[in-house]
Amino acid sequence: MLTEYLPILYIMILAVLFGAGTVFLSHILGPKRPFKVKEEVYECGLQSEGAQYAQTPVKFYVIALLFLVFDLEAVFLYPWAVYYRNLGIFGFVEMMVFLLILLICYFYVWKKGALEWD
Amino acid sequence: MELNAIVNAISEKCPGSILKQTENHGINEITVSAQCFYEVMQTLQGDGCGFDMLTDVVGIDRMPRAPRFDLLYVLLSMKDFSRLIVRLEAGEGQEVPSVSSIWHSANWGEREVFDLMGINFSNHPDLRRILTWENFDGHPLRKDFPLEGKDFDKPFDTKTVKDYC
Amino acid sequence: MGLENQLVGDNVLVTSMTKLVNWGRANSVWPCTFGLACCALEMIASTLANFDISRFGSEVFRPSPRQSDLIIIAGTLTKKMSVMVKRIYDQMADPKWVIAMGACASCGGVFKSYSVVQGVDQIIPVDVYIPGCPPRPEAVLAGLMKIQEKILTEKLGQRPDVLSGTLQ
Repeated sequence: MLTEYLPILYIMILAVLFGAGTVFLSHILGPKRPFKVKEEVYECGLQSEGAQYAQTPVKFYVIALLFLVFDLEAVFLYPWAVYYRNLGIFGFVEMMVFLLILLICYFYVWKKGALEWD
Repeated sequence: MELNAIVNAISEKCPGSILKQTENHGINEITVSAQCFYEVMQTLQGDGCGFDMLTDVVGIDRMPRAPRFDLLYVLLSMKDFSRLIVRLEAGEGQEVPSVSSIWHSANWGEREVFDLMGINFSNHPDLRRILTWENFDGHPLRKDFPLEGKDFDKPFDTKTVKDYC
Repeated sequence: MGLENQLVGDNVLVTSMTKLVNWGRANSVWPCTFGLACCALEMIASTLANFDISRFGSEVFRPSPRQSDLIIIAGTLTKKMSVMVKRIYDQMADPKWVIAMGACASCGGVFKSYSVVQGVDQIIPVDVYIPGCPPRPEAVLAGLMKIQEKILTEKLGQRPDVLSGTLQ
């Protein structure tokens, strides 16, 4: 029964083999001439200053996630706006329901204090 | 603002400081003496004259002339959009008081003039080269500076610019 | 030291391996995303659909020098900028090639001046010079094909910059 999925497995194995093979080949074949400047951190050609490994506050994670969620909703609005005339009153109500749900989520997030930085 | 009113305001504070006044293409220009240059600029920025913006600082090398350099300060009043050019003659090696405490925009303008002309500004917060690199030798916009630079015929090495390479 | 430096001689293994490696390198010359002046716009134009640099496998402009094989010096190189260019070239992974694009990068161009490097070959080794001010995208593609020709004639472990060891 599962035999019809075998080609997918073959392709996956082939892809992994090809990827790993080329990386391995270039690893053993590539010339390596490390020296001081080459091993330094790349800063667009400038000398890097300060520590290269800085910690980022976890607050950015929440902000980024919220941005992603609420920004991507705008993507749904575009096709809706383009096709709006043909959808008629049904499309309007449908989108308003969607936006209402979004607005409720927005107020929930606001109330929870996720938009406050400190 | 009328040129006469400006001249009156200045000569009240520091009499005899205006050496010459002209008009060129509708823009007034005054030449001031070096002794009370800073006080004149303070007066121009103050409420009486109201030139609240320094648009540019220009240096001119007039080499055979006795005070070698001309410094032009282009002022703009944001109230009536009138412009005024203040000209100051400076000899080689003469220190000019910095006006960066009056207009903050003078900071980089004076650094540029220092870099390219070699005019020193006293009381400047950060008088470093701004366009050429730190250990550059000479001042490129002086008339006696060779256009190709001093080491043109030698091969260029990046270590002459910065030594970390 | 990679295996490359052990592959010397003229036996059948070395020559066929050389052919394979050079074929791979020549058809995937990834340039560094790097432009200095007006020539950079022509370099960008050569990647667009009209001229289509991806025919030669070079459409992948890498944002990091660690992943790029080719640096196109596109434009006037001032002495103040030369430090960065040298550093970026140094940080590129071997093997690497350089194209001096345009009159300014090749010889200083019209800027016979105190502030301009009179040819990038004074700081890094150049493989191909493209004349023009700026060169048309076709000329960039021609330069790229010259690089490919050069790669195909190279011998493993015997690139001149590796042998001389001068690029430290």
